[in-house]
Amino acid sequence: MLSRVADNLYWMNRYVERAEGVTRLVEVKRDTNLEAEAKGDKRDYWRSALQAMCASEGAQEEDLNDPESFILFSKRWSSSVINSINQARENARMVRDQLSEEIWVELNNLYLFLNSPDAQQTYLQDSSKFFRRVIRFSLVFQGLSDATVHQDEGWLFMSLGKYLERADQTSRALDTLTLLGNEPTRLDLIGVLRICSAQSAYRKRYRGDLNLRNVADFLLFSQDFPRSLRFAIRRIDSNLHDISGVPAGNFSNEAERLTGSVLAQLNFSGIDAMLETGLHESIDDLQKKLIEVGQSIFETYVLLPFEIKNASVPPVVQSQMQQQ
Amino acid sequence: MRLYVLHKTYYRYPSPVRESFNELRLQPLSNDWQHCESCFVSVLPTAQMRQYLDLNGNLVHHFEIPYEHSKLIIESRSTILTQKRVDFDNFPYGVSLQSLREVEGQPECRPYLQTSQFIDINPEAWRMAVDVRADSQDVFQTAYQIMEFIYLNYEYCVSTTTVETHANEVLQSKRGVCQDFAHAAIALCRCLGIPARYVSGYFYDATRDQSMRGAGASHAWLEVMVNGYGWFGLDPTNNRVVDENYVILGSGRDYTDVAPVTGTYFGPSPESLQVSVEVKRLDD
Amino acid sequence: MQNELFTSYETDVFFDEMFGSDGIAPLDHYRSILNRLKSLEPTQIEEKQKQADSSFLEHGVTFTVYGDDEGTERIFPFDLIPRVIPDKEWQKVEQGLRQRILALNLFLNDVYHDGKIMAEGVVPEEVVKSSAHYRQEMVGFDVPRDIFVHICGTDLIRDETGRYLVLEDNARCPSGASYLLENREIMKKTFPGTYQAMSVRSVEAYPELLLRSLEFLSPRQSQKPVCVLLTPGVYNSAYFEHTFLARQMGIEIVEGKDLIAIDGHVYMRTTHGLVQVDVIYRRLDDAFLDPLFFEEDSLLGVSGLMDAYLKGNVALANGIGTGVVDDKVTYAYVPEMIRFYLGQDPILEQVPTYLCWNDQDRDYVLNNLSELVVKSANESGGYGMLVGSASTKKEREEFAQMIQASPRDYIAQPIISLSRHPTFCENGIEGRHVDLRPFILYGEDIEIVPGGLTRVALKKGSLVVNSSQGGGSKDTWVLKD
Repeated sequence: MLSRVADNLYWMNRYVERAEGVTRLVEVKRDTNLEAEAKGDKRDYWRSALQAMCASEGAQEEDLNDPESFILFSKRWSSSVINSINQARENARMVRDQLSEEIWVELNNLYLFLNSPDAQQTYLQDSSKFFRRVIRFSLVFQGLSDATVHQDEGWLFMSLGKYLERADQTSRALDTLTLLGNEPTRLDLIGVLRICSAQSAYRKRYRGDLNLRNVADFLLFSQDFPRSLRFAIRRIDSNLHDISGVPAGNFSNEAERLTGSVLAQLNFSGIDAMLETGLHESIDDLQKKLIEVGQSIFETYVLLPFEIKNASVPPVVQSQMQQQ
Repeated sequence: MRLYVLHKTYYRYPSPVRESFNELRLQPLSNDWQHCESCFVSVLPTAQMRQYLDLNGNLVHHFEIPYEHSKLIIESRSTILTQKRVDFDNFPYGVSLQSLREVEGQPECRPYLQTSQFIDINPEAWRMAVDVRADSQDVFQTAYQIMEFIYLNYEYCVSTTTVETHANEVLQSKRGVCQDFAHAAIALCRCLGIPARYVSGYFYDATRDQSMRGAGASHAWLEVMVNGYGWFGLDPTNNRVVDENYVILGSGRDYTDVAPVTGTYFGPSPESLQVSVEVKRLDD
Repeated sequence: MQNELFTSYETDVFFDEMFGSDGIAPLDHYRSILNRLKSLEPTQIEEKQKQADSSFLEHGVTFTVYGDDEGTERIFPFDLIPRVIPDKEWQKVEQGLRQRILALNLFLNDVYHDGKIMAEGVVPEEVVKSSAHYRQEMVGFDVPRDIFVHICGTDLIRDETGRYLVLEDNARCPSGASYLLENREIMKKTFPGTYQAMSVRSVEAYPELLLRSLEFLSPRQSQKPVCVLLTPGVYNSAYFEHTFLARQMGIEIVEGKDLIAIDGHVYMRTTHGLVQVDVIYRRLDDAFLDPLFFEEDSLLGVSGLMDAYLKGNVALANGIGTGVVDDKVTYAYVPEMIRFYLGQDPILEQVPTYLCWNDQDRDYVLNNLSELVVKSANESGGYGMLVGSASTKKEREEFAQMIQASPRDYIAQPIISLSRHPTFCENGIEGRHVDLRPFILYGEDIEIVPGGLTRVALKKGSLVVNSSQGGGSKDTWVLKD
């Protein structure tokens, strides 16, 4: 398929996943804040959230006064929900011919909604209705991706985008715990699990044993929870191999090599080793590697530097003039 | 029936030729049986196109290309409305061969009873015609027998004859393509005093398996005069009475009068000649 | 039960598509649809219109308006009352269009080769060579299959007697075919019974016919040709159409940056490396195709594309240099072209045209500005126009100056009273001016899907039907015999 199209599909899914992740984060942080305030806890929960999302730098004074609106509706911050959906739609628009009608209609509907006055109004009147709408959209979008899209190469790039972003979102959610400046409370831990939609899965695994080690263990290393890092990286690894046709365990490009090494790290190390190095440092390291994976996917499949280097350059027409 | 015909002729020359003068007879007639709704004849390299009617009443396109050129493409596109022209349950039987004496002097029939460039009236042909006639005394019956005789006894094969093969040769070798079959049948008819003319045109193959001959190129058949009823078309290539599946480009004494493309030029003979004819039904 | 929709309908002095020139009784071919409309409650009609509009918006059937930040995408307004054309009438139009595209194509072949028509003095050489879209680079080049114009949108209007006239030919990158197809889909859903009962001829073959015309051009006939649609990108006003057609044909839609020309061949960048491209259906004007040849700062094109084209390794549809026949001065000579190349009279007449380039005509134009429409020779989309009867003295003076300054760039035509068609307006059904853009495809043979896009000027009294100037569209129903 066209490199640009692969790129668009990949980003479309990244942005949809991002919109969902960010929305979940706002929804949960809002509840946590309310509960904490009720208990007289004065810590600034938003600061750590903005920091984890790398949004604090672009934020201005007025934004910090209303961080929720900033995260949801700001045009200034590229990963705000509205910007994510606009960009997802923009990417979708460029590859509409590759998408099922249903997917386009869903995405376009959300786009039209977010860009209409209805969105702000719904959010002000009943914020949870607003959050549900965005999250529900993302889930429907994923369902439609699996149910109505031809599962060919394009779908694999969509899947890559989804899991790469999800790995990123999960790691950022977990990172908020390290950025609090103090030991996370029970409320903080539950909050992170909620962001990752992991409450009931966690409870099943650890019963009532709620602590940072277990939460981090679950979100990083769970084999079968679809929002854990390990799960996401394993999918990325298999998607990449499906695209290139190279058997698992081998690699034919940098993206595959890097993913393989991250996966090995998650397969063969454990939570205790990570806590020893420092959770924040480990997460930071993982995030850097994820960025590198994304970069090398782009270079391998979109830029084609190797192919083009090997093709000769067409003669350039020179204009010439004669002085008289 | 509304039919659409696309007829393409593509000459490619090994080296550039010049002073090409050409006549085209590619526009279907409008008469009692068919109405030509439109016809566009175009050529490349571009040339100024002129039209006139020839002595047989056929429309001729004329053009010349004085400049050097190494290919010549002629395309004709026509839309024709054809009418049902025969009643298959009621052929025009009952006209005796004797009665043809009455029409043989008429200017409408005279040219079609005589020798022409590719058709001879000679003793061998006459003998063959009398054999085919057997004891029939009926004009249509006899003509039909001639058509059937040729269809059954002659072998349809391409590249054994050329555009310049004479009817005598065909009657001897008993093989050829539609042009030859038509020439042979005309020769036999004329020997028996039945006015017969050569018709060039197209043919829409309505059979499911496209089993008819001559549908992929321009086709040819003959028409015979049945005294008091007019001209009837007979297609010896397909053993068929001509009906609304046929489109008439023009008619004449033989191929020479109605050749779809004729011309002269200075230069080597064509390296390749491709002809394609597509006949589509429009009112399905 | 009958509603009141048509009780106060006025046809005025115009030819009315539904009521003819006398305006009393509906024409036969409109009876069924008229009865259906009359049987509807006004609320039902409103409901149907709403459904249609939201369906367009949801499916993203939109066009982009330039210089408008917020609502950059709009739906092309759609009117529910179809235009109906009886078979006989359409057949004549169709024949006329075939004849016209043949002549235009022969003309382009001639212009870029021996120039016989100019040598014979039928079309002045200076008119051709001074045309803004004449491409010197194309002289002597044999375009693939000798066809220059593969897709042509010829605009037709009807005068006060109902006679069809050719208004202009769009032989560069005509758009609108997607609306033609989408309008039909909507109408089939809105009036299924009437649609079926009237035996309307289908238009759905368009994408397939288009693809076949493109594949016919491939320089590599031995294998399945690789065809792509080259779009200026997602911000182009016709982008929806580009994706729509690409999807319908099952071909890749590419932007300039997806293509790369290497050693006289064009490749597209795919996830499996570079793939050679045979045919480019380009929706980009000549000037943007190749920055090495034309506009040096164009980011939309592909460097080296012209080189590959002139080497015959890639085909372009439409060919380069076809804009000569879009020129409104050249237009004036089309009847002569038909006579010259085909040896016959034009089947479709066209609007009499005064060429300001010609001294005598110019004097006439300058003296009669208020009774004429003055048009710039190379503008499209309804720009650069003066409608004399609706102009101010100041506007006429401005145009007079422009005409005198560059006479070659202006033509004038008598004001034609375009036919009108009943259309839903704010105050019920009123007559609005319409035109018709059929799409002609020229590949192995010439194919025209029945009908075309009927454009309607929604502003009361307006003669401008272009989407950028407040026009809308209707479905066009050509009936079977």
